[in-house]
Amino acid sequence: MVILEQTSELKALMSIIRSKDTQRSDFIFYSDRIIRLLVEEALNHLPFVEKTVTTPMGAPYKGLAFKGSICGVSIMRAGEAMEQGLRDCCRSVRIGKILIQRDEETAKPQLYYAKLPPDISERFCLLLDPMLATGGSANKAIEVLLSHGVSEEQVIFVNLICSPEGIEKVLHVSAIRS
Amino acid sequence: MSNVQNAPRSIQRKMSTFLSAGRFPWYNIDGKPVEPFIIGMAGGSASGKTSVSTRIIRSLGVPWVILLSMDSFYKPLTPEQVAAAHRNEYDFDHPNAFDYEALHQTLLNLKKGIKVDVPIYDFATHNRLDKSQTVYGANVVVFEGIFALYDKSVRDLMDLKIFVDTDADIRLARRLKRDIAERGRDIRGVLDQYRKFVKPAFDEHIYPTMKYADVIIPRGLDNVAAIDVITKHLARQLNDRGLSLKVALSNINVKKELPSILRTLKPTNELKALLTIIRDRTTSRHDFIFYAERLSRIIVERGLAELPFGNADVITPIGSIYKGVIWKEQVCGVSVIRSGATMERGLRSVVKDIPIGKILIQTDPSTGEPQLHYCKLPSDISQRYVLISDAQIATGAAALMAIRVILDHDVPQDRIIFLSLIAAPLGLHTIANAFPSVRVVTAEVDQELDDQGHVVPGFGNFGDRYFGTY
Repeated sequence: MVILEQTSELKALMSIIRSKDTQRSDFIFYSDRIIRLLVEEALNHLPFVEKTVTTPMGAPYKGLAFKGSICGVSIMRAGEAMEQGLRDCCRSVRIGKILIQRDEETAKPQLYYAKLPPDISERFCLLLDPMLATGGSANKAIEVLLSHGVSEEQVIFVNLICSPEGIEKVLHVSAIRS
Repeated sequence: MSNVQNAPRSIQRKMSTFLSAGRFPWYNIDGKPVEPFIIGMAGGSASGKTSVSTRIIRSLGVPWVILLSMDSFYKPLTPEQVAAAHRNEYDFDHPNAFDYEALHQTLLNLKKGIKVDVPIYDFATHNRLDKSQTVYGANVVVFEGIFALYDKSVRDLMDLKIFVDTDADIRLARRLKRDIAERGRDIRGVLDQYRKFVKPAFDEHIYPTMKYADVIIPRGLDNVAAIDVITKHLARQLNDRGLSLKVALSNINVKKELPSILRTLKPTNELKALLTIIRDRTTSRHDFIFYAERLSRIIVERGLAELPFGNADVITPIGSIYKGVIWKEQVCGVSVIRSGATMERGLRSVVKDIPIGKILIQTDPSTGEPQLHYCKLPSDISQRYVLISDAQIATGAAALMAIRVILDHDVPQDRIIFLSLIAAPLGLHTIANAFPSVRVVTAEVDQELDDQGHVVPGFGNFGDRYFGTY
């Protein structure tokens, strides 16, 4: 699990989105700002390869390049709120959807719908859901990904806040929260 | 009140300073400003003070000269006085008609190099307008008015005091011509006013101030020889004050460890990958812009984390209390054109409706010195934290100038945060040496500068690549 650096800045953003008095437009604006920070951090956990480039000055620069391809998978509905942040960083990123609802009778999470990129098993998956509470639907979503041939190491679970209980349940995959 | 410049075409714009010739550094390597040269120009009404001032400024050929008229400092009148003025019974030619306190403060601030707000006097209502004219950045200030040399505290601020001594007949003739032909007044009223106010004021109050003058110019504008002598004297004085930052910069001690003003981003793989794309000369413009903006946004977020925060508890929608924090201060951006403007999008996407000022600094190709060409800043900048943005910090010469401009607008050092994508150690040390309380946020520090002062490996000309002008 990786937590964003707890700067006062981030704390101030969280204060806005947590407050019940925040207007919708502000809620959306500041959520987007945090989501952008989360996505940037999540992308940092992808594999990189060394790459030396030549600058316009004619000098070499020993840098890094992204390796492998990614896709986003949002857990409907709330996870879709994080899609724009991902698109802003990764243009034309492929995004799959998963709809999970709680079964009224058994209280167990039930998969209703999943539409994923066909080559998902060859991609790193940024699983998007703003909140990790009990971990029930998160675990269900990860199960779905695994059943599509994605390995655990390929899954990066991105959320804004999470509970200790939820982390406990999904700890076998890397989770990122703020 | 006007800015006089020496380009073939005179450009004067209200509320902004635009001069076609840039302003060379007006501060030394330690960031301390050098006082502008202040000239006081007194003389009777219609003696030709303004014409002489303008002639001197033009032949001097120095840009960034401010011509300040004493007319801006008339005291606002009471309703009774306004009525008297309309009956031609108020004495505008008396020393008491002027606000010496405001005048002194304005000249003092100009001397310190601080931005000033010059009142605008409305002769229709005989009151100051609500708005004022902002004046900033003078190498030379010429202050002219009938009582320019009257007040001691004002006189003490002057480096050169001039009295234009034009014959009384000529002055009266000019006044008649001006007031009747240009201002539509009748000859009786003009003569009346001359006899009642203008002549006594000159004899009793203006003429005696001639003794304070360093130079007296008989015959005003016609005295070509006198004006020539004064111009040469001024040129020599200004030359002696000449500042060469370029030489001084090379003497900056670049220590091994980087100065404590520096805040670098956490060196993650992701950051490195973004920098790799931006630095790569084969990167397409499309990608360059995209990744430059992505990186800019991260730098802006890091810069905002430097602002002060205060505790604030909020109630969440489920009714519990969250111990949060809020921003305590207002912020604005100032971009150093051109390449600093590339960070504006990042600024706007994270701070809604952020005011953004602009500063244009260009390096003079013949001297290698930075020159200030344009500056337009939010009027309440002194109440805000200021995020200055530029693509890179190389020698630090442009950064020093940009910071000096902000300081001159009454913003303390510790409220200035300088954002750049990359920086070289020389530039960082230059800034730290002059302004140790300014903070610098950058993504990466490049180790070298080449002979031309370019950052190596760097990313080439950022502005050209971003705007497609190569």
